[in-house]
Amino acid sequence: MGQPVVSAVTGRLRRVPGWQWTFAVALLALGFLIAVQLGAEGPRVRYSSSERPPLLETARELDAAQAALQERILSLRDQIAAAEVASAGNDQAVTDLNEGLAAARLAAGLVEIEGPGIVVRIDDSGLPVPPGEAAADYLVSASDLRDLVVELWQAGAEAMSVNGERVVETTALTDIGSSILVNSAYLQPPYDLSVIGPEGLYDRLTTSPGFIDLVRTRVQDYGLELGFLPSDAVVVPAFAGAVSLTQGRPEATPVPAASGAPAAPGQPAP
Amino acid sequence: MKQPRALTAVTLVAFVLGILLVMQLRAQDSVGGMEQLSAADLTVLIANLNDRNNLLRAEVADLEADLRAIEASGASGQGNVGRLQADLTRLRLWAGLDAIEGRGVVVAIVGPITADAVNDLLDELRLAGAEAIAVAGVRVVPGATVAGTPAALSIEGVDLGRAFEVHAIGSPQALQAILDRSGGIVSRIAVGQPDVSLEVVPSETALRLPATERDLTPDGATPRL
Repeated sequence: MGQPVVSAVTGRLRRVPGWQWTFAVALLALGFLIAVQLGAEGPRVRYSSSERPPLLETARELDAAQAALQERILSLRDQIAAAEVASAGNDQAVTDLNEGLAAARLAAGLVEIEGPGIVVRIDDSGLPVPPGEAAADYLVSASDLRDLVVELWQAGAEAMSVNGERVVETTALTDIGSSILVNSAYLQPPYDLSVIGPEGLYDRLTTSPGFIDLVRTRVQDYGLELGFLPSDAVVVPAFAGAVSLTQGRPEATPVPAASGAPAAPGQPAP
Repeated sequence: MKQPRALTAVTLVAFVLGILLVMQLRAQDSVGGMEQLSAADLTVLIANLNDRNNLLRAEVADLEADLRAIEASGASGQGNVGRLQADLTRLRLWAGLDAIEGRGVVVAIVGPITADAVNDLLDELRLAGAEAIAVAGVRVVPGATVAGTPAALSIEGVDLGRAFEVHAIGSPQALQAILDRSGGIVSRIAVGQPDVSLEVVPSETALRLPATERDLTPDGATPRL
């Protein structure tokens, strides 16, 4: 009974001209692209107002100026290090000071280094935001990055950078709309954390309860994308920021560092 | 439909298809760019970039002065001893390699606070310009993080207990303002962890923070020259 119907449909389909098939495929592709275009408006919202263009232009100029200043700082530090070595001559005191400075610069993160480790990439979710849910939950936040940085330190990381910004003693991560500032530098997703550390860093990281919780609550629940690339030659750039103290000064009398003793708050100086 | 009309229709659809494809690719390129920020966010971003650029300009000026001084001192290097010593002192203090003192704030914490909340607090202090931080007398440097469960937090192997203090050196006004601001870390903890009490007090006298005991020189890494 069904055989004549199938034959009729097949026969009718055979009679459809070729150009109509092409047209149908093109319309299908058009519909798909329109849907994708509308979907792309999802998590990251475009704003438009008359006050934005000048603000946008100013922000871009400042961002470009920052990049130029960072480059200048790195170049000057290189020149100074080279000039110090060249000017040391036979003076032992100067040689000792130069050696001390070289070691301090390395410890402070002012030197670009290379070593074994991993590159961790975290990116915004590719999932469509369901109606009624907060679009921000589907984006990488400063809190996500901070959790990842803390987990990496606890797994034994020795040096780290986020999209080229070295994580140092003064590094803060903060949200600005849908982007993140690291060391006050404006970064956009995806965020690549270049990490140098000992063997087993990846295993310790991925088995830590805090990391597992991060994967469960952010990657599984919201679709943030997380990937790893182990490497024998991870490059962590030098910190290209200011090393300045306005309040801090050397202490008058040395205080012994805490050494496993019960919690002892810092003491006021006399 | 005649063949030429069909051809026109397909051409038209292909043209629209091409435009949409280009729009989509451009949209992909700009996702996450500054175009996505609201006017309010752009204002905050500009303030941050401005502050940082001012610091960077000051750093450039200092470095240029250093370079000039080295070049002027010639090959003897003797004239550089004072400058080198000052640079070394500043750098070791900044990195946490030496003990440091100065004005700042004391944050007294009592109760079962989470490790995440303490690490967030440390981040807020850095954002406010803290130059050095210590948790329960342990200097906070890269790698030194607070870990553990609320009743059993520790940093660098030192137990924090139920009550401990965070000391931060920096402008007391700036530090207190950012911590106590509406929506800041103090109010967030008050809402999220009502059992925790957190008090920020500007220091009357200079705070003294010890040097780190952590080896900050990366073991397996080599400098790239």
